[in-house]
Amino acid sequence: MNLRILFVDELKGFYKSKVMLILWFGMPFLTLLLHFLNPDLEELPVSFLVALLISSIGGTLSAALLSTSIANEKSHHVYDLFLVKPVPRYSILLAKYFAVYLCLIIATGISLITGLIIDTYTSGSVPDYNILQNTLDSLSISLAAMSISCSIGIFFGILVSSVPVAVILSVYIGNQVSAVSILATIFIDFINPSMFALIIGVSMTVLFIGISIIVFNRKQF
Amino acid sequence: MYSDKTSELIKFQNVSKDYKNLLALDEISFIINKGDVFGYIGPNGAGKTTTIKIIVGLIRDYSGTVYFNGKDIAKDHHIIHKFVGYHPQDAGFQEWRTVNHVMYTFGLLSGLRANVLEERIQKTLDFVNLLDERDKKVKYLSGGMLQKLRLAQALINEPEILVLDEPLSGLDPSSRYQIKNLIKLLSKQGKTILFSSHILSDVQDVANKVGILNQGKILRIGTPEELQNEFNIGNEIEIEYANDNKIFLNVDSLSCIHTLDKLASNKQVLHLKPEFNLDNAINQILSFLIQNKSKIRNFKTIKPSLEDVYLKYIRGDNQ
Repeated sequence: MNLRILFVDELKGFYKSKVMLILWFGMPFLTLLLHFLNPDLEELPVSFLVALLISSIGGTLSAALLSTSIANEKSHHVYDLFLVKPVPRYSILLAKYFAVYLCLIIATGISLITGLIIDTYTSGSVPDYNILQNTLDSLSISLAAMSISCSIGIFFGILVSSVPVAVILSVYIGNQVSAVSILATIFIDFINPSMFALIIGVSMTVLFIGISIIVFNRKQF
Repeated sequence: MYSDKTSELIKFQNVSKDYKNLLALDEISFIINKGDVFGYIGPNGAGKTTTIKIIVGLIRDYSGTVYFNGKDIAKDHHIIHKFVGYHPQDAGFQEWRTVNHVMYTFGLLSGLRANVLEERIQKTLDFVNLLDERDKKVKYLSGGMLQKLRLAQALINEPEILVLDEPLSGLDPSSRYQIKNLIKLLSKQGKTILFSSHILSDVQDVANKVGILNQGKILRIGTPEELQNEFNIGNEIEIEYANDNKIFLNVDSLSCIHTLDKLASNKQVLHLKPEFNLDNAINQILSFLIQNKSKIRNFKTIKPSLEDVYLKYIRGDNQ
């Protein structure tokens, strides 16, 4: 019950934040820009490139957003007020994770649909199965990478007190670790990239959020 | 220790808490009865906030027992969430929230249903005089308004006890006056209040019971009047004469006078010996002044303030 209240609450806070506005409007704009700039994509569909771009930019921004938000709220004793209510500590972190991740999913969806529309418009027909499959794969990888980035943002937000240090660590390490979800596609041919990204995404996310919850539970306020 | 078992609301029994090498609370025991306005005073680092955080459940690794309405809060923790309203010393709100949103969230988290929440928010904001600011974002509120909002969110679930950590610190005189009045109003409504402060005049104005804490130990608990009387600090008498009437320096020859201070050429303060009865002392002094045909313009007794008592306890002069 309280997780739902906090989730809706965080969503209200995040969806109109500057970072999210960049994702809402910046990503589809970037998709359009890619089409009009007409770069040499070496036969790659725009939608595929968009998915990769989003995972990189969206993941970085969300990691920075979450780590800043948590480190800031910790230093301003925001959680003191929540924790005297019947609110389990894990629900505060999970609400943040789900709120930001949902915003990312929606932003990714808008951008990918824009990309697919552009691909349909430029090729004169609905993208074929291969393009859709590639896009789906890159979408899975993007979502997995963004999920890992979000969990790392939470991890460093909880672990580090200084806001700049939390941001630097979450962005840098978030980018490095989230790249793991794409490694299989590069080195191993027979592995299904979507499935691999899903497994890695879920397990890394659970690991980092799990550690964050343990640390948060032990924290004295 | 004050005790009235029928109305005990909070009871600390030999509670200790240490932070690694620092003993923050050392076997403290006290009782807050229903309807008390308990002023908790002590210097910085005395352990006031630690005590408060134990009551509201933010600190759970302490030794000893804390009872709320007779129940051990370590075993029955949800009672704290339900019956305690907490106003933290310096807790912030997320800046994107409006006043209304803060109240709505904390109302829901306190378990209030949406259908009663709107009315409760209106009533609470009206009480703290923030109704006109309900759509304002938190980041645009002044310090005084923020304190009112902290108080409002603590009141949203109509708690049985209000725990206020330094509610008057950092406020301008006007905001302090307003918050103090709100506390007095809540007290008149029968609300039990524990509030910590280092502004002793405020405690004296508001509290009906005072606990003095120093270095993790409760030094004394009593009503402000009891503390002033029990401590046996001598009264003072301030005398002002006509301009052409110089002060009497030889008044200190009277047996009731301990020392005297000259405030101006026609004004003096006489410090009475603590063991001397006030009425007898006044008689003695007035007789002396009449015999000497002095032209008195003002004659008043000054009782020791809570601050005097506090300083004596903190310095250990009561030993």
